[in-house]
Amino acid sequence: MSGEDRIANGHRCGEDAAAYVLGALEPSEVEAFRRHLTDCAACQKEVAEFEQITGALPESATQYQVPKDLRRRVMNEVRATPKAQAAPRRTPARSWRPAIAWGGAFAAAVVAVILAVALSSGGSGTRTIQASAGNAVLRIAGGHGDLIVHRLPQLPSGRIYEMWVQRGTAAPTPTGTLFAVTSSGTAAVGVPGSLSGISAVLVTQEPAGGTLAPTSAPVIVAHVT
Amino acid sequence: MLGSRGRLRSADRRALADEELMQLVQNGEVDAFEVIFDRHASAAFSLAYRMCGRRATAEDIVQDAFLSLWRSGSGYDPRRGSVRSWVLSVVHNRAVDAMRRVGSKAGRDVPDEGIADRLPAAERTDAEVERRDDARQLRTALDELPPDQRRVIELAYFGGFTHNQIAEMLDLPPGTVKGRMRLGLTKMRYVLGEGSRVTV
Repeated sequence: MSGEDRIANGHRCGEDAAAYVLGALEPSEVEAFRRHLTDCAACQKEVAEFEQITGALPESATQYQVPKDLRRRVMNEVRATPKAQAAPRRTPARSWRPAIAWGGAFAAAVVAVILAVALSSGGSGTRTIQASAGNAVLRIAGGHGDLIVHRLPQLPSGRIYEMWVQRGTAAPTPTGTLFAVTSSGTAAVGVPGSLSGISAVLVTQEPAGGTLAPTSAPVIVAHVT
Repeated sequence: MLGSRGRLRSADRRALADEELMQLVQNGEVDAFEVIFDRHASAAFSLAYRMCGRRATAEDIVQDAFLSLWRSGSGYDPRRGSVRSWVLSVVHNRAVDAMRRVGSKAGRDVPDEGIADRLPAAERTDAEVERRDDARQLRTALDELPPDQRRVIELAYFGGFTHNQIAEMLDLPPGTVKGRMRLGLTKMRYVLGEGSRVTV
């Protein structure tokens, strides 16, 4: 960027790129800057250049040994925690099956989901969510969520569980998280990214590879309000 | 014999690249996860400790980040960068969340020195030597910035403060804070050399 900053989408170029990559913009400014970025090649370039620096900044911290207790706690927990048989993460492929309208899927979900519990996205804690089969726990800590399911049915070959997030009343968007459950119906999967702005986390059964829009009613709906 | 084969398999795992190990982690291999943990937990703990200044909080953040990695892969996408940079970004985000949740900034940038052990300077592999060299260059670039630019960058990245909070803290107009951030990062990029390797 030069000093000859231009204005695009009502936004002065160069004004926010550094603060953005440093995570120092206010939440409302982040969304505005991201919209600006979609149309501004100059800011895209500057952000990419600055991200080279901020991506390496953690290494500038004084290095300490991992406390032995911490390593032991993590490994004990890992050995005791059933691992989700998660499919490799990838962008869901477009399904050859026609996606049903989300309104229809959600209407069906009223039957499928017995209870969804309101949670505080800004706080921590756990709530139990009863699904149509088995049960699920959405564990929230630090604005991030982990979904742990028990006694969900194993799906036949060619089918997989897919996680979605919903903002407000908009149609759910895919998280890219596809997972299967163990023979006892257990899985633990993280909700990618922050729960900030998320109104609900949902799980549907989809064709292997996932879809870009739900093709079935959700078996789990967790309202995050 | 079995023990011998087991050790060989363990040695083989430690020879694998992070991206290959992540595929094993996604299949539930604890030993592969352990290698990932051993490679990156020090950097993760050091970052969390640098940000929070409290050993217990830093341990909670690192534990939470690695368990999330184990349970789900937590969104790792090899097309978007290395495992190390991804782990550190997860730790950074969670540390910022933790600090903003607590709200109180008091004492955050005053680490309880002496409680954690500094990492010995042993450089066992080429990758570690390279990484330490990169880290030294980066620290030099940061140290050579004018203090007012270095301070806003450190408050934002390691302190988790927004530009408005920094402006209030330093009694500066928000635009000045943003300008110093931009100048500082631009100078660091210049010092490190445009197009040079700055990796994690």
